Amino acid sequence: MKKVLAGGLLVFVLLLAVVAAGCIGGGGQTGTQTPATVTETKVKTETKVETQVQEKVFVRFAGWSAGETEMKNYEKMIKAFEEQNPNIGIKYEVITQMFHENILASYGAGVAPDVFYVDSAWAPIFIDKGALYPISDLADQSFIDQFYPFLLEPFMKDGKLYGLPKDWSMLALFYNKKLFEQAGLTRPPETWEELEEYAKIIADKTGKPGLAIYLGGFNRYVPVAVSNGAPKPWFEKPEDASWFDNPAVKETLTWYIDLYRKGKTERENQGLTPYVVQPSDVGAGWLGDAFGQQEVAMVISGNWMIPFLADQFPDFKYGEDWDIAPVPAGKEGRVTMVYTVILGINAKTEHPQEAWKFVEFLLGPEGQKELVVKGGQTLPSIKGFENDPDMWPQHKKTLSFKYDQMIVFLWGPKSGPLEGKFSDAMAAAMRGEMSVDEAIEVMKQVVQEELSS
Amino acid sequence: MFSSFSSFYEKARNKEIVAGLTLISIAVVLNLVFGYFAMFFAFYLSFFKWDYIGEMQFVGLQNFEIVIRDLIRGLHGAPYLLVPFYTGLKNILLYTLIVVPIQTFLAIVLASFANQKIRGQQFFKVSYFLPATTSSVIVALIFIWLFMKNGYINYVLVHVIPGFEPVDWINNKDYLLFAIATVAIWGTSGHFMVSFLAAMQAIPREIYEAAMLDGAGPIRRFFFITIPMLRPMITYVVVMGLIGALQMFDLAWIMAGANGGPGGAGYTVALDIYNEAFTRIRPGVAAAKSWFLFAIIFTTTYLFQKKYGRAMR
Repeated sequence: MKKVLAGGLLVFVLLLAVVAAGCIGGGGQTGTQTPATVTETKVKTETKVETQVQEKVFVRFAGWSAGETEMKNYEKMIKAFEEQNPNIGIKYEVITQMFHENILASYGAGVAPDVFYVDSAWAPIFIDKGALYPISDLADQSFIDQFYPFLLEPFMKDGKLYGLPKDWSMLALFYNKKLFEQAGLTRPPETWEELEEYAKIIADKTGKPGLAIYLGGFNRYVPVAVSNGAPKPWFEKPEDASWFDNPAVKETLTWYIDLYRKGKTERENQGLTPYVVQPSDVGAGWLGDAFGQQEVAMVISGNWMIPFLADQFPDFKYGEDWDIAPVPAGKEGRVTMVYTVILGINAKTEHPQEAWKFVEFLLGPEGQKELVVKGGQTLPSIKGFENDPDMWPQHKKTLSFKYDQMIVFLWGPKSGPLEGKFSDAMAAAMRGEMSVDEAIEVMKQVVQEELSS
Repeated sequence: MFSSFSSFYEKARNKEIVAGLTLISIAVVLNLVFGYFAMFFAFYLSFFKWDYIGEMQFVGLQNFEIVIRDLIRGLHGAPYLLVPFYTGLKNILLYTLIVVPIQTFLAIVLASFANQKIRGQQFFKVSYFLPATTSSVIVALIFIWLFMKNGYINYVLVHVIPGFEPVDWINNKDYLLFAIATVAIWGTSGHFMVSFLAAMQAIPREIYEAAMLDGAGPIRRFFFITIPMLRPMITYVVVMGLIGALQMFDLAWIMAGANGGPGGAGYTVALDIYNEAFTRIRPGVAAAKSWFLFAIIFTTTYLFQKKYGRAMR
């Protein structure tokens, strides 16, 4: 087993290739016997017309799963679609881990699915290589116009649109009302400075940390920088590393990193309750867990946290026990991050029309009503659901927040790898392994290296 | 198809060869496809730039150059994030130096205990071997709990060693690699114990009896009879251990994460090959790196076997 790994893990690609060859080769010639020679003539005359019309086309659809409910919802939708379109069959494949890596490898082997999820951060890799079918060639403009325009921007290239978002989420501040009351606070913090101040007050008065953040997490830091006047980050060529030289970037990065060093490390050295922690400091797996267990009073997280809280912590009630507020504002306004996933169509698919029909069915108003609005996982990507009675109140409230800028999670053609490396450097600085300046220097070099050649 | 094969078998002149080849054919085919073909394809791939979707583009030795530059910069002390291969290599060599000697030694000790005629030794044999039958992923997940700051290991250490401060094993870059090494040693010693046990039981009893007549005690018998007689098996275990340790992936993946955890302390070469191929989408560079790893494993095991591998008897 380990020998296989040493082969460079490319074996995986080969495995898919072999599976593919098997699928393709084994398709046609399974039924070798010919017992129906006599009856054949009779049947032929009757079914000839039908078989031509009913030649069933199969579309392979791959997604990850945010939980059992999501999978069940999709299976339900697929059933409904197949009933409406008897000549199209959908093969639903769930890839739970390393989703994009798997899809890329299946491209290498030539067995990529026809329709699959693509996260905004990974979209440029697929679009630049011509892996995605331009949706604008398949969809009517009126269909595209139903979507929030800012969600479409990351998927545009040279005037063509390569994907339509299946749903989206944005960051908001989640706060524990009971802990706020205990600390004598009446409203959520308005600015970043106030956020830190509140966290401190809560820690002093309730003995529980006020705020939980991730170590690293470049995408969580970006709204701080942009709301304080930094330009939106974009890394396309090595020179774009100069984004880190912007004084607003340096200043806010220092503040963000110090949040943990001051709020946790220094406070503990003084023998006080830390006011900023990471989830594992309070024995939680992620922010949602830390917040749901009521170990921390505030977290900044996205809409995916809402169904998790409803499901895992039914006694911790929205409205009574916790509430949401907009992300705190900086000197130059209020900024939030937007996360979205499209249903991409494989550019090399043999059945673009059928694949599009399926995508249209899932993303259209009826599909989103069923999957997103009623399911309550995230926010619908088409307009007009803001006041829908089926919309969860928490999601309705998120949509009502006013922001000066909403940044979609995408920092250029190599967002995925860059995000990982930036976060590692930030985490190292937060842990005190390097200074903020050293971390910035590392991040600049990462940009230069990832984008040169 | 089956009937035609059986008639072929009936007519075959040398039935044993036909039966043998048939029985091993699946294993051979799998090995050819996933072993040798993958190996040569990786070699071919290491000269190309590719992104899985587009065309493969010949770049000569550029991929190897990237790896060598990484190593040189690492030696000059660049931060770990910029020199992933060097970091992985450094960690994995240290890890191998810790794991292989300890696991070999421990396996011999366990085997010699299991080789005694004590009541209930079957129970100990089974319990030593159990870790080898458990999935390494599950083992790693359980050890994460044990190694947590308020976990069991700290709890025990605090009570055993006076004045011991609980250590955050997994989230501290100074301890992470040792934590991973501990799990590896725990997981593999029992497996190698079985090898040693088999070898020990093959040692003729007369040698021990002669030694006892000459007045050698148990410790001298262990060092002057058991260990020398085990030499071929020790070589085998060390070579297998070296290969396993240098390729370590699963434990680091679970305990440190794909990015190697705090300070990159749990980063390994195998993790780097994975990341290069699937997150940075440079399969050519990943192939070049895997050939470097192959070269390292090949030379170390070759040298070791050449020096110690000659049969004694």
